Amino acid sequence: MSEELFKIFISEIQIPFESKKCAEVAYDVLRVDKEPKRSEVSKQLGVRDNVLTAHFSGKLARQLRVSVNGFFEKLDLVVGTIDLLGRPVSEKYDHY
Amino acid sequence: MVIALGFEGSANKLGIGVIKNGKVLSNCRRTYITPPGEGFLPKETAQHHRENVLIVLKEALEESQVKPEDIDVICYTKGPGMGAPLATVAVVARTVARLWNKPILGVNHCIGHIEMGRLITGANNPTVLYVSGGNTQVIAYARKKYRIFGETIDIAVGNCLDRFARVIKISNDPSPGYNIEQLAKKGSKLVQLPYCVKGMDVSFSGILSFMEEKTEQLLKEGYTPEDLCFSLQETIFAMLIETTERALAHCNSNEVLIVGGVGCNLRLQEMMGIMCNERNARLFATDERFCIDNGIMIAHAGAEMFAAGVRTKWQDSFITQRYRTDEVETVWRTD
Repeated sequence: MSEELFKIFISEIQIPFESKKCAEVAYDVLRVDKEPKRSEVSKQLGVRDNVLTAHFSGKLARQLRVSVNGFFEKLDLVVGTIDLLGRPVSEKYDHY
Repeated sequence: MVIALGFEGSANKLGIGVIKNGKVLSNCRRTYITPPGEGFLPKETAQHHRENVLIVLKEALEESQVKPEDIDVICYTKGPGMGAPLATVAVVARTVARLWNKPILGVNHCIGHIEMGRLITGANNPTVLYVSGGNTQVIAYARKKYRIFGETIDIAVGNCLDRFARVIKISNDPSPGYNIEQLAKKGSKLVQLPYCVKGMDVSFSGILSFMEEKTEQLLKEGYTPEDLCFSLQETIFAMLIETTERALAHCNSNEVLIVGGVGCNLRLQEMMGIMCNERNARLFATDERFCIDNGIMIAHAGAEMFAAGVRTKWQDSFITQRYRTDEVETVWRTD
């Protein structure tokens, strides 16, 4: 068996926000969508202070690229919405 | 009293609207229009929605003149529809809900059409014909659910029309169905087409294949594109009237409501009107503002659900491409 079979592609992304509150908004919005089964990519999101962290891993570079692109497209919308409406009105979200 | 903000983006229409106790405060929309001969695909449609969603949101909020603190619930289309466009719009809906600390509510697209139709027309308990680019269903309400009496077994009626428009390369602006309707008015020679009613269900794919194969030859034989549009409309609408009539008789109902994008076709409304007259039933239909996909119908259905106590958990605020009309319990209806 060749080593190729065990190769895993990884992408680590860190997105700094102006505040922890904004990073948490992005985290909450983006964590809802699961990766589709057929993508075979695992996605882990987190927040560290004002930084949104994303960890992607997959067996095919193509699949990883699709997932990461999708993540950025959605992130762009979240940031655009925050720019349009302003900062979150409260510390916590009351409707989980 | 409920003020709801609604987001819709399950197909090529992107709509956002605000409703306050059944009164429309704003209803803004953009449509992704493809060149003649081409249909809309998920990836490009999602891109259209991404590019326009914040513009439409701004417009809908400004026009409604509501303050964020007055809004009670944020509603979005959970499905059915195309995955990427649905997900695009849902992300913005979630962000708004999270920023403003408002509850979020996922709404079934078909339920949105039905409830908006009932609100606008005042129909009480109608037999519903729901006809659009992605759906074709004959629906009647019974025991807390909108039940599907008949539906297409392959493609939707609007899909059949859209794809025929591509065959004869007519414009997709403002919509292929509208342009077919205008051409059909000038048609007179009827081409015999397959008529595919199977019990309560209908089938359109065979008719479309027939048109795709025969159009060139028919045009050579002296039929005009207008004749073909006319023949297609007469045939497929007759199929819809037949199944709706059967559902109407079965349910002992005296109201018919037409909803969905194809529902603004005046010839379809006219044919349905004749059937209703013969049965002493009343026909209810709306115009393009509310027939064609829009944000306000999602806001309205969501407001009804919200007032009846329906809630969506945050982790369940994703989208789903398949979501049947009869999966939803209609807790807001008291009959």
